[in-house]
Amino acid sequence: MTDAPLSKIEEDEALAGEYVLGVLDAAARAAVEARIRREPDFARRIVAWERRLAGLNTEFVPVAPAPDLLARIETRLFPTPPERSLAARLGWRGWGLGGLAVAAIALAVLLVQPGADPGLVVTMATADQSLIYRATFHNQELVVSRDSGTGAPAGHSHELWIIAPAQSPVSLGVLGEEALHLPYPEPPAGWVLAVSVEPAGGSPTGAPTRPVILTAEIGA
Amino acid sequence: MTDPVGQLILRCAAQDRAAFRALYGETSSKLLGVLIRILSHRTEAEDALQEVYTRVWLKAGRFDPERGDGMVWLVALARNLAIDRLRSRRPEQAEDGEAERIADTAPRAENRLIALGEVRRIGECFQRLEPDRASAVRGAYLDGLSYQDLAERHSVPLNTMRTWLRRSLLRLKECLDQ
Repeated sequence: MTDAPLSKIEEDEALAGEYVLGVLDAAARAAVEARIRREPDFARRIVAWERRLAGLNTEFVPVAPAPDLLARIETRLFPTPPERSLAARLGWRGWGLGGLAVAAIALAVLLVQPGADPGLVVTMATADQSLIYRATFHNQELVVSRDSGTGAPAGHSHELWIIAPAQSPVSLGVLGEEALHLPYPEPPAGWVLAVSVEPAGGSPTGAPTRPVILTAEIGA
Repeated sequence: MTDPVGQLILRCAAQDRAAFRALYGETSSKLLGVLIRILSHRTEAEDALQEVYTRVWLKAGRFDPERGDGMVWLVALARNLAIDRLRSRRPEQAEDGEAERIADTAPRAENRLIALGEVRRIGECFQRLEPDRASAVRGAYLDGLSYQDLAERHSVPLNTMRTWLRRSLLRLKECLDQ
């Protein structure tokens, strides 16, 4: 084995192997994933490495999962048919939808665009389109930006929530002037994104406390 | 088609929920084994397993039986998810499973590597590498070790480890593709 520098092809081959082995850090992995999507030849090198190293898979010793795990996965993936109202299904009885003025429960517009794989794009907009947030799930990242309208009034913040079927809302963070970036996988159909108006800096309780102004159901 | 797991994945792509159950029954123990080995924590591994099967259902359409069998695809998906989780852990969390893993990474189960053709093949190719380099490649694949982890374990600078490992990968490729 010589120590001559690697050729371009050897570099690609080694990089694909490093990715499949898993030794790269998060940033380098993200860069490789971007190449996998852009370059079919490079994607084939990855698959070839997965097959080459699969002989090691016999060393992973099977362990039976907890008995209720399949049911939990199915609940996540296959929510029961939506006969009740969205709010009721999400368990939002306590907050906002009754007594508090809900400015505008918005229309959910969902665009799933195949082809160039731009990821999953979810648009949350008021009926009059005066306020629009766009959420994009792509490459294990969620980016949310405001496409139209203004932020929350003084002393308040817009806060983004995600709600799995029959689960409590989970905060994804406060929406400011800059786009929100966070690592997040593409959620399954039936999950809901929502924006509420909270005290500045976000809900003090970890749950939405104020009116929900926008919602959009994934895959609706 | 002689790949029953691949067949089930294709049926999942067609939204067949019964196939999804069958696939889970066939493969979940293996994938949980992968996740526990890499993440070192059972609770976290079970949480990751839910994510794995969620992705399997959502991404089944991307499975291409021409490019490999179903189990290889599933293990790759589970390993990728586990490694992404490891790499996004904060440093103090990364220390958690370390003691367990050190005990766990010594080259082992060499005997079990003598069954099937491809398994034997990979064993032979590993034997052609220097033992510490073979151990580094195995530690990365099976335990999710990063370059940083490997450099510390083998007491070499990170760049040296990187050079070793890249050369070793190219030699493995040459051997395995013969």
